[in-house]
Amino acid sequence: MANGIVDKVKEQATSIWGKVHGSQVAESILRPGSPFKKGYSDTPRNRSYVIMNNVLYHLHPVKVKRHGVRLSYTLCLGGISFFLFILLTITGIFLMFYYAPTAEAAYVDVEALSTSVAFGSLVRNMHRWGAHLMVLSVFLHMSRVFYHGAYKPPREFNWVVGVILLLLTLLLSFTGYLLPWDQLALWAVTVGTNMAGFVPVFGDQVKFALLGSVEVTGDTILRWYVLHVLAFPFIIVIFMAVHFWRVRKDGGISGPL
Amino acid sequence: MAEEPLVFEGKRVLGVVPGVPPVGDRKIPEEQESVMVWPHLLVRHAVAALAVLLIVLLVAIFFDAPLREIANPAVTPNPEKAPWYFAGLQELLSHYHPLVAGILVPGAVILGAMALPYLDRNPDRHGKTRRVAVATFTIFLVAWIVLTIIGFAFRGPDWGWVWPWIDWYGEL
Ligand code: HEM
Repeated sequence: MANGIVDKVKEQATSIWGKVHGSQVAESILRPGSPFKKGYSDTPRNRSYVIMNNVLYHLHPVKVKRHGVRLSYTLCLGGISFFLFILLTITGIFLMFYYAPTAEAAYVDVEALSTSVAFGSLVRNMHRWGAHLMVLSVFLHMSRVFYHGAYKPPREFNWVVGVILLLLTLLLSFTGYLLPWDQLALWAVTVGTNMAGFVPVFGDQVKFALLGSVEVTGDTILRWYVLHVLAFPFIIVIFMAVHFWRVRKDGGISGPL
Repeated sequence: MAEEPLVFEGKRVLGVVPGVPPVGDRKIPEEQESVMVWPHLLVRHAVAALAVLLIVLLVAIFFDAPLREIANPAVTPNPEKAPWYFAGLQELLSHYHPLVAGILVPGAVILGAMALPYLDRNPDRHGKTRRVAVATFTIFLVAWIVLTIIGFAFRGPDWGWVWPWIDWYGEL
């Protein structure tokens, strides 16, 4: 009896799948060579088309040097930094649904994540620890690149882009640190921005621009929120695009030592 | 493995020829040989992404992100701590004037890092011939790690020395 129902469901599913798969709509979405296409066969030509006929071609060539896919060379650290960035974007969007960047609401909203939002504390924890991990993986990536001498010609400029990515990663992390608006946030940011006050000549102006005020207040939350969720992500994505493009144009991952 | 010819923009597309060329041997050193990105590289991407996701999930399940009392400008915590990646800078700040520790040193390190590929004129990538570059970078790296660990874990009230296994003041 139960088996009969299972079989019926299976039959139905297969027939619906049969109609969808190979339909004009599916065919128009999937480009030639896509492994999801009806009648896909694993041939060298199709393996090329998976990349070449696909948006992935913006990121990867069809073939790469064998050692470039070796885990033991890159340790995947650049890729891990990128993946963490994606994870932070996804979890961050979730957090934005429940957070208002004002002195009155910020702390209460973050507190409510762990009391009255489904998966709220899990997502907040992932965002927090993911951010720390990203800072770590970017540092490790930089060290790996240095010890391989991978900044040498023709990759000098991509190293410079990398330094900018490191700065942006730190700025993203630090602007996010203020947002929970607890004692940790307020005083860490006070220490950090006091330093900016020592910039020669323009110290006070720089500090005011950073804080939107003479000290850390609700105005600072709004300012850092906008930087954290919009400005810095926008800028870092542009630099990442240049970074990945240059990895490819500079001849792929640097050769084996 | 007969397949229908593939037509793309009105032209017949030829397949990629697998295997060895019709005449002669291909002599490519093994490391320089190429592999298809699909599946070899993309599968590695997927595995790495899943592994990282698993790690973040496990950490997030077992450790809660900190949330102290609500921000209060009237109550200054002692010590005031920056997040760990700035703890090295904060430690530096306790020894030197803020203009030096907060502006000049980090500024010089950033500019120096950007200039590195143009300063290091040695084209060789092997460790043995890169003694100066490797030593310089390693000194900076170790100094920064040591400062960070001290600032993060070994500093307590009034930025005085503490032993982290006795009193813990690190903040994440
Ligand atoms: C958000 C931060 C960053 C991301 C997402 C990122 C991503 C990547 C990726 C995916 C690669 C391919 C190879 C690999 O995974 O190792 C790469 C290579 C490279 N990265 Fe980064 N990177 C970042 C930061 C940096 C930093 C801080 C530096 C140096 C200051 C740097 C310099 C380089 C160089 C020179 C290469 C070429 C390496 C080679 O050919 O062996 N990147 N990066």
